[in-house]
Amino acid sequence: MNEQGSFAALLPLIIFMVVMVGISIFVRHKQAGKNFVSNYFIGNRELGGFILAMTTVATYSSVSSFVGGPGMAFQIGFGWIYMAVVQVTAIFLVLGIFGKRVALLARKLNAVTVVDIIRARFQSDFLAAIAAFVIVLFFCGTMTAQFVGGAKLFAAVTGTGYTYETGLILFGLVVVIYTSIGGFRAVAITDTCCALIMMVGIILLLHYVLQAGGGYENIMTSIETNHPEMLEPFSFGNMPWTIYFTQWLLVGICTIALPQSVVRGISYKNTHGLHSAMLIGTVVVGFMNIGINFTGILAHGVLTGGVADYGGVDNIIPTTIVTVMPKELVGFAIIGPLAASISTISGLLIVASSAIVKDVYLHYKEKNNQPVESSRLKFLSMATTAIIGAAVFVIALTPPSLIWLINMFAFGGLETAFFWTLLLGLFWRRANKLGALLSMAGGTIIYCATQAAGFKILNLHQITIGITVSLILFLIGSYFGKSSDKKTLDIFFPS
Amino acid sequence: MKKNNLTDAEKFSLVRREAIYTGLALAGLIIFWLVAGFGTASLDVKIFHLPLWAVLGSIGVWIFAICASFILSRKLFKDIDLGGDGDE
Repeated sequence: MNEQGSFAALLPLIIFMVVMVGISIFVRHKQAGKNFVSNYFIGNRELGGFILAMTTVATYSSVSSFVGGPGMAFQIGFGWIYMAVVQVTAIFLVLGIFGKRVALLARKLNAVTVVDIIRARFQSDFLAAIAAFVIVLFFCGTMTAQFVGGAKLFAAVTGTGYTYETGLILFGLVVVIYTSIGGFRAVAITDTCCALIMMVGIILLLHYVLQAGGGYENIMTSIETNHPEMLEPFSFGNMPWTIYFTQWLLVGICTIALPQSVVRGISYKNTHGLHSAMLIGTVVVGFMNIGINFTGILAHGVLTGGVADYGGVDNIIPTTIVTVMPKELVGFAIIGPLAASISTISGLLIVASSAIVKDVYLHYKEKNNQPVESSRLKFLSMATTAIIGAAVFVIALTPPSLIWLINMFAFGGLETAFFWTLLLGLFWRRANKLGALLSMAGGTIIYCATQAAGFKILNLHQITIGITVSLILFLIGSYFGKSSDKKTLDIFFPS
Repeated sequence: MKKNNLTDAEKFSLVRREAIYTGLALAGLIIFWLVAGFGTASLDVKIFHLPLWAVLGSIGVWIFAICASFILSRKLFKDIDLGGDGDE
């Protein structure tokens, strides 16, 4: 691809990013005069069903879902789709279990963040501080993985004309800017655009893969002949039961406690919207998961070598895009995976920012009766969002290896920290401060320690250890610690 | 939008019940996933060049999840007043 060709390929992405910034500025302008904190961090609880569904799906679907995942499907076969499809539970579970409860409590407590609710439930500033720290720490890990994954994809697809750093600046800096300006509502609307673009991208890529591979029948016949293991659920040993089991936890059941998903429960307007979002979200997340991974498998119709011939699983989708798409559409095609990346970054960025500004700074000021001027709060919120984003951007300039592992590590850490604290805290009267503290701190430390040591039981991902230890500690603390006071229980469990 | 005039306690009780329904839907989906995929893997049946387990274990699970979401959100879940502006 020559320089001129590269710029033509880049144009759709540039236009897309300009539109994202434009949306952000427009939203900021429209929201002027409203309660800043509520508006900036949860969009004034005004999200409708469609946008709620799309922003939840887009934040959940990361660049790994669009690059690493289908690359693995190319290698493993239909067993990978069978494993990945467990993600269809992600939206109806989080909204069905936490959606209304969190919404009711947020309105009662005037809560803006998940940490606000945890603080009120367990009456502990220390626990809230740990929760905020865990959020910022693991979100930075996830965001780094998104930046690196997106920029690598960009460099691979645009060819020699543009570098990894160019990609990082083009989409990385822009996402930090538009998130800082527009806050949660802008994130939700841009997420919706990203989700729609992702779906169009999948359809386009699938179409061109089928065309280039000589049609569906031809590709499938070739797979049956040359890769019979791809049609077997265990893929002749490449897909052991342990992966199925841990993925059910990591990207299925335990995702209900991801703070970036739970916070969506604070942000919607009414229950009608929530109900619609459950249905729409399940349709969309299934379409994306099956669609992109199926495309990864069908890429065998155009990429005849093995994974190693293309430089690893992360290069399968970029190589497929370059191979099958017409040059004038390549720039459009990469918007889909990049949209997955930027929508996750923006969703995490705004929650990480709220953890620092709202959960730590503002709470400290309110506790000490020190009012904060609105203009100062606006400046601090935007500056914090920008600084976190810039910090992650700088880390991504020297890309760490093993992006997929960083992403899964962060996912597991967040789930270990928040799963029992939220689930038992919101549905079990006996849950108390000591249980939550032990569970969140102890579980997370054990999880990180086992990850660092590479310690596994039955070769299962360390999430199984983290989530089990976290539960045991929660139960021990709840049975031996002091019960929550009556006033708190009356709020959380009215009778 | 039809909303019942519920007390706080009734709302929380309803929400708890809905969470249990969601948990049951998850349990149903896990069972379906197991039966649809591993349960049919030994059958030599193909649909559109795909083994039956691959179709049921992907598209089948997705359709099951859509049906579960539909039943939950349209039949079992109730509209309630959350107390915010959107409910006025």
